[in-house]
Amino acid sequence: MHFAGVDIGSTMTKIVVIDTDGKLVSAIKGPTGPEHRRLANEVMKTALEQARLQLDDISYVVATGYGRLNVPFADRQITELTCHARGVSSLFPNVRTAIDIGGQDAKCLKINNGKLVDFVMNDKCAAGTGRFLEVVAATLGIKLEDMGAISLRSTRKVPISNFCTIFAQQEVVSHLSEGKKVEDIIAGLHDALASRVAALALRLKVEPDVVLTGGVAKNAGIVEAMKENLGCELLVPEDPLLTGAMGAALLAQELSSAAIAKGEPVPVEPRRLDKATFFK
Amino acid sequence: MPDRSKGLSRAREIYLNRSQRARQLKAQGKKVLGYPCVYVPLEIITALDLVPYRTCGDIKEPVTEADRALPTAFCPVMRSCLDCALKAKDDFLDGVVTTHSCDPQEKTSHVWESYIEYPYFHFIDVPGTVRPESIEYYKGQLDDFRKTLESFVGKELSTDRLKAATGLYNQQRALVRELYELTKSAPPLISGTEIVEVVKALMSLPVSEGNELLAEVISEVKERTDGPERKPARLFVWTASLDDVDIMQMLEARANVVIDDSCGGLRAYRTDVKLADDPLDGLAHYYLEEITCARTFREATIGETSKDYAKDLQSRFGYLRRFIKEWNVNGVILLLVRYCDPFAFEMPALKDYFDSLGIPSTYIEYDYTRGALAPLRTRVEAFIETIA
Repeated sequence: MHFAGVDIGSTMTKIVVIDTDGKLVSAIKGPTGPEHRRLANEVMKTALEQARLQLDDISYVVATGYGRLNVPFADRQITELTCHARGVSSLFPNVRTAIDIGGQDAKCLKINNGKLVDFVMNDKCAAGTGRFLEVVAATLGIKLEDMGAISLRSTRKVPISNFCTIFAQQEVVSHLSEGKKVEDIIAGLHDALASRVAALALRLKVEPDVVLTGGVAKNAGIVEAMKENLGCELLVPEDPLLTGAMGAALLAQELSSAAIAKGEPVPVEPRRLDKATFFK
Repeated sequence: MPDRSKGLSRAREIYLNRSQRARQLKAQGKKVLGYPCVYVPLEIITALDLVPYRTCGDIKEPVTEADRALPTAFCPVMRSCLDCALKAKDDFLDGVVTTHSCDPQEKTSHVWESYIEYPYFHFIDVPGTVRPESIEYYKGQLDDFRKTLESFVGKELSTDRLKAATGLYNQQRALVRELYELTKSAPPLISGTEIVEVVKALMSLPVSEGNELLAEVISEVKERTDGPERKPARLFVWTASLDDVDIMQMLEARANVVIDDSCGGLRAYRTDVKLADDPLDGLAHYYLEEITCARTFREATIGETSKDYAKDLQSRFGYLRRFIKEWNVNGVILLLVRYCDPFAFEMPALKDYFDSLGIPSTYIEYDYTRGALAPLRTRVEAFIETIA
């Protein structure tokens, strides 16, 4: 038996397929794009091809993320907060605090024995999210994936006083024109982002083990800045993008077992890889 | 005899076209007064034979006119209310009565009065505390209101008529409480969304017509077989004014909202006006003490707050315990409107109170626009996933 977790985020779509032992059979990541609402089925086809499976081989599908309502072949929708809690726990069994910095939001989760018990979320403002880094990388003319390595060369970070992404851009330009070093500016930007996220997280009690996830966790400079702003050690998964989809797949497995135990059909209804439609 | 099976659909019709009855009454020669807040004593208005009509904002209406008159980082509800007024949405009003329930309302009053001409406009000051001297002062304010209203209509307010009006409003309060008894069951017999429609309809009708509507709704709801679906979470919502079904529908996607402390819900109906020899005494006491809005500074005795926090929480919020227990609530939504200081400052202590009762609560903030609601769904659903 196989189970799938489909995590449609604001920026990236992730699909994870696992087997009965909870082992990863395939994992797909791709940009969500403006057409995301229609294309969950296309990404799923790719995931199935990679796993050498048919849709009928998947007993249960859980969809999560902002786009979770647009996965017609999902058996259940569960919020990404609950799914991340589950996914992070499978990788780090002693996790009690998970901080996820995504493309357009940031969240802090309190976890107890793999279950979500409390959370705070910022999805109203780009400051403290991946979008902030995208914008300032573009302003600096630097590739997003190079930001981390460059920032680690900094010897004297430039404090960025503006939290607002747009105003921070202006500040960056003025620092550049004053001849400040690019690595120092990036280090300052990382600190600005980290301080925003840390302020969010500190609304809950930050207890170890603390895990950092989300695309932004791939940035080594951010990881250092977060450790500094939180004042504690951080664990980072090998692939920080997949914890939501992983959690969704594990929850799919649990729900499937629960359904079978109750004598309910699994999958719930016959499925087809249809595009999402908006009109009934 | 009205068709008693039509109560809920009649309430919905009124909700969707709120001003219809007020316009009819105006055409018949009645005077209609708008009021933006439940602190306005409707008994006085009704006793002088005017029709009170709740002026609301509109979360579906983009604010385009109010920004020339009000700051933008300001209570979005009052902004929307003024915006609607500037767009002459309620052009049938003969006047408006505002209060000092909170600073945004107080400050908007001057703007409202300066930018739009009404035959009548009155501002009632409301003291910040509930001490005996505050109630005495507030009674004076109500008396001033009575005087300007008498002058406007050209007749005196009789004690008998005021007592009779108070009786009718108390009847309405009792009927609303009776309606809320029907949400105690699992599932509740009436949804939070339907209650928003009913209460908004009540605030758009003269009191006796509202009482009739309530009687119809109650008898329909008692017999119904098509009530809300049972959902895993039973929520209590604490908020300023929840006046649009879109907001409630967002909360009820995965839950039953069974009880509230909201000006679009139970707040104005929770207890009755105690009839006194001087009816203004009863009204002053009721409106100042019994309306549980966060704008009021409550202390059991002066200096109490710093002495015993738990006791202070109990004296300020103890009235909520019964709601949680009797309605079998398993989660609380603290629904704040952005820039609303009174509710925002009250929220941490209220959260502590719910923690002391062992009830999980979560804080949801919106800015009184429809666009704000979609991302909030995730937070509400995630909260429900932690409690259910």
